[in-house]
Amino acid sequence: MPEILSAAACNLDANILAACFPLMEESRLEAIEWSFDALYKVEEIPSWFLELLAAYSNEKRLIGHGVFFSLFSGRWRQEQAEWLSHLKKISKEFRFDHVTEHFGFMTGKDFHHGAPLNIPYTKSTLDIGRDRLKRIYEACECPVGLENLAFSYSPDEVKRHGDFLEQLLEPVNGFIILDLHNLYCQIHNFNIPFEEIITSYPLNKVREIHISGGSWEDAPNSPVRKIRRDTHDDAVPEEVFYLLENTIPRCPHLKYVVLEQLGNALATDESRTVFYNDFGKMEAIVKKKNTPGASSFLHPFSPLSPVITGAIIEDDALYHQQLELSAILESAVSCTEAIHLLNQSSLAHTAWHIESWEPYMIDTAMRIAQKWKK
Amino acid sequence: MKLPKSLLGAILIGITVQTTTSCNKDKSVKPKEKKEEVKKPYPYKDGCPACGMG
Repeated sequence: MPEILSAAACNLDANILAACFPLMEESRLEAIEWSFDALYKVEEIPSWFLELLAAYSNEKRLIGHGVFFSLFSGRWRQEQAEWLSHLKKISKEFRFDHVTEHFGFMTGKDFHHGAPLNIPYTKSTLDIGRDRLKRIYEACECPVGLENLAFSYSPDEVKRHGDFLEQLLEPVNGFIILDLHNLYCQIHNFNIPFEEIITSYPLNKVREIHISGGSWEDAPNSPVRKIRRDTHDDAVPEEVFYLLENTIPRCPHLKYVVLEQLGNALATDESRTVFYNDFGKMEAIVKKKNTPGASSFLHPFSPLSPVITGAIIEDDALYHQQLELSAILESAVSCTEAIHLLNQSSLAHTAWHIESWEPYMIDTAMRIAQKWKK
Repeated sequence: MKLPKSLLGAILIGITVQTTTSCNKDKSVKPKEKKEEVKKPYPYKDGCPACGMG
């Protein structure tokens, strides 16, 4: 096992940087994860932030984390081509130790106005995902990884997610970011034991782990049931630290453990203290698990043969289903109405298996889609 | 990882300037009660949708 580094998601955000600053001063922030595509509203990046990125880049401790690529959009979008050009350019300015993206497709007509949702696990989505990952690799020329999705419509999807991720990553010999708060959401939302869910992932492919906090929400028509959401806006629950302790030893190629929190949730001194303490807990677990004289062998997580991208792979039927699903989730006024519309839609009786979607997760998908729609 | 002192100083100035601007704006136009009101139900609307459950 290589030496594992304790890191934080660090973007151009005064609150995040203020929360991370004491850790930087104490030389404890061993790496940073930067969402390089989240600067679309920023006209000019301050020189001191570029210097910060360069400092970690020079030590090969800068990792890139994309948010908006929308890996599984059925139709290729101009924004995806621009995203890749941006990544290619920025990869020449900074040396990423690896680059990652999220699983799923973005709801919303505009590239930046939506949230990632799950897709059917089919040959078509596998081909699209592999095609896009190869293009990401071509742009950044460093190891490429995918993060497990927090959201699922059914327990069956949860159980198949790890295997599908492994198949997707095969052509680029890529890796997985295992987000333990996402796993915690699924453990809770579908009542699946940790041992069952953790063994459904190819843990020898995990190079990065995320931890974060989230929030609880009432399930529709059930005053006792709560849905766990990965909102990145609160302290890391003790259960997630427990998952971290029990997951690290199973991941032989783990290199980074990253604490993530949204900047808007770090506006007060209290919240920054909680963040600081969470980092300390995470760091202590990582240090305890770091083997003395850690192996110098690093899994390359790079393609075993040259990556060749041909014509862009698209699926028009999938694209129209995604548009239809997004429209239903963004506009339905109740879960009952959403279920009714889904049953009338082109998704009915297809690989989407909407008939087995849990109503409380359809309701959650509505809330997510309507939250991020602008 | 150790960062140069000059860089830490520049970061501190950078985040202080941003934070101060934001604080001054709040103080000048909003009474304290209103600041608390805007916290719910989705205070992190302009954050990142990230992992699908945000």
